Amino acid sequence: MADQTGAGPAVAEETTAAAAARRWGPMRVVAALAIIAVLLVFPYLLPSGFWVDMAVQVLIWGALASAWNLSAGYAGGLSLGHAAFLGVGAYTSTLLFLELDISPWLGMFAGAGVAGLLGLVLGAITLRLRGPFFVLATLAFGFVVHILAVNLRDLTRGAAGLVIPFDGGWENMLFASLEAYWYVGLGLVAVVVGITLWLERSRFGYYLTAIRENEDAARSVGVKVVRWKIVAAALSAALTAVAGTVYAQFVQYIDPDSTTEFELSVQIALIAIVGGMGTAFGPLLGAVVIIPLGEVLRAELGGGPSLMVYGALLVTIVLAAPRGALPWLQQLVRAARRRREVSA
Amino acid sequence: MDLALQIIASGLLTGGIYALLAVGLTLIFGVLRVVNFAHGEFMMLGMYGAFWMWALWDIDPYLSVFAVVPAIFGLGLLTDRLIIKRTIGAPEVTVVFATLGLSILLQNAALTVFSADTRSVTTGYTGTALSFGEVRVSIPMLISFVVAIGLALALWAFLSRTRFGKAIQATAQNRDAAALMGINVQRVYMMTYAIAVAGAGAMGAIAAPVFSVYPRVGLSFVITAFVIVVLGGLGSVLGAVIAALLVGLVQSVVGFLVGAAWAEIAYFVLFIAVLVLRPQGLFGRRGAEVYQGA
Repeated sequence: MADQTGAGPAVAEETTAAAAARRWGPMRVVAALAIIAVLLVFPYLLPSGFWVDMAVQVLIWGALASAWNLSAGYAGGLSLGHAAFLGVGAYTSTLLFLELDISPWLGMFAGAGVAGLLGLVLGAITLRLRGPFFVLATLAFGFVVHILAVNLRDLTRGAAGLVIPFDGGWENMLFASLEAYWYVGLGLVAVVVGITLWLERSRFGYYLTAIRENEDAARSVGVKVVRWKIVAAALSAALTAVAGTVYAQFVQYIDPDSTTEFELSVQIALIAIVGGMGTAFGPLLGAVVIIPLGEVLRAELGGGPSLMVYGALLVTIVLAAPRGALPWLQQLVRAARRRREVSA
Repeated sequence: MDLALQIIASGLLTGGIYALLAVGLTLIFGVLRVVNFAHGEFMMLGMYGAFWMWALWDIDPYLSVFAVVPAIFGLGLLTDRLIIKRTIGAPEVTVVFATLGLSILLQNAALTVFSADTRSVTTGYTGTALSFGEVRVSIPMLISFVVAIGLALALWAFLSRTRFGKAIQATAQNRDAAALMGINVQRVYMMTYAIAVAGAGAMGAIAAPVFSVYPRVGLSFVITAFVIVVLGGLGSVLGAVIAALLVGLVQSVVGFLVGAAWAEIAYFVLFIAVLVLRPQGLFGRRGAEVYQGA
């Protein structure tokens, strides 16, 4: 379960990264500024609304996968029930907006609070479980929330779903232009990835890494294993709910199948795994690859065959490169750099 | 009173059919320590096998078991070779998501080939029932129940009576010690996986006269089977049979009292409670649930 080699390369990585930062310091700053500039004008570079729509989806799914990664990638809590938190976020802010006219910007925090609390309770109950037992418990939780969303008709209107009437304006997080959602999505991703980066560098992050690499060893040196896992689970749930609110405002219609279904939980996990679990930018890379690929495959092959490719891809990735694409790419870059240094 | 008996009878019958799916799942779990998310898809393939043999050649679904079982057994061997074998000792994410990916692959292969249409088998005995006083028992349901329980118990007998069955049990108890005793662990894993999914295929074939088949049918069944497996104690075949009857009963009784949706919620909550409070299940050996990760 634990990857014993994890600590070695991580240290080596740090030193090469530090050396690179010394050498490429000013260039890095320029590159970062250039990337930010491109991101800010990006939707206007795209040929059509179809692509802007897809770009926004990439951001939302990237945020969802990053939020999943906080618990799964850093604390080893492989969840197959995260769509439940997406649904809680989407339904909480939407119901507050529809029934009490509360802005989704505030509803977002309410959804995050409810989901965070649920994540906390669920984590407290299940995070002592190991391996497949934890996975099964999260899966059951996801099903419970889905069944509730379908059957609490007085609250959720069941399978009929909830339509968010279009009343444009930033205070309602409803925009006539797709481009505006790009910036909302960008903010969302910045928050989730920012928290991930902060976490990587914090004491909390080191605790989590220690837990993931070897839970028993971490416990023996005094890390409060379950407590930190629960904190990670709650944080992950809350951020997933925030992405759920943004999703609801983007699509402007939610129903149980589009927010809480099992397949969505799988998709969230799939994106993070393909990109690279336990890395800050891996889930985002996963979304950049998987979402457009999914769209293209669906358009070219139809629903069934495109999902067949998904399934085959998932099997292949977890068997051949369980650490995902980003660590693999980083390895390629490192190898290339080493070759260059050797030849120079 | 008669209504109560009726509900109990139909609950036990459904539970019995679940038993055959659950014993395979518990066996894979107990021996390979793999959560076989694709288990329901092998059942689905069994159902389609029975359906097409009936639709094309008018073969009775109960007879089609004799063709379905070897076919799914072969598919199980192939799956073990290509996928399952490579997950043994791999990181946890591989163990969990490899069979999940396979499940998505098979489900959508069925969707592509057979379309999303719901199909059912109609035979001479469809809709017929036996009457015991006021209690009516559907004949196909009864046959499926008897065959399913029979096969599940046959599997149990195989595990406890035969030499190879004992090798499987030894491997489940301690992989390394079994290997030291000269048991070919790889072969045990392969045969266990193939036997278990063949059981799921058999369950699909005998369920065909009772339940409709569609590409996603496996998902709902396998989720119930997970509940049964955990309740019965991981790796405990007899426990799975008893738990299957229990879950069928709960589904039927609670479903009648408060509606199917709430019954489902009830057993998911029960599922989480058992996982947390009594991870060895109701009938499992203590310690059998300890997860030996790589």
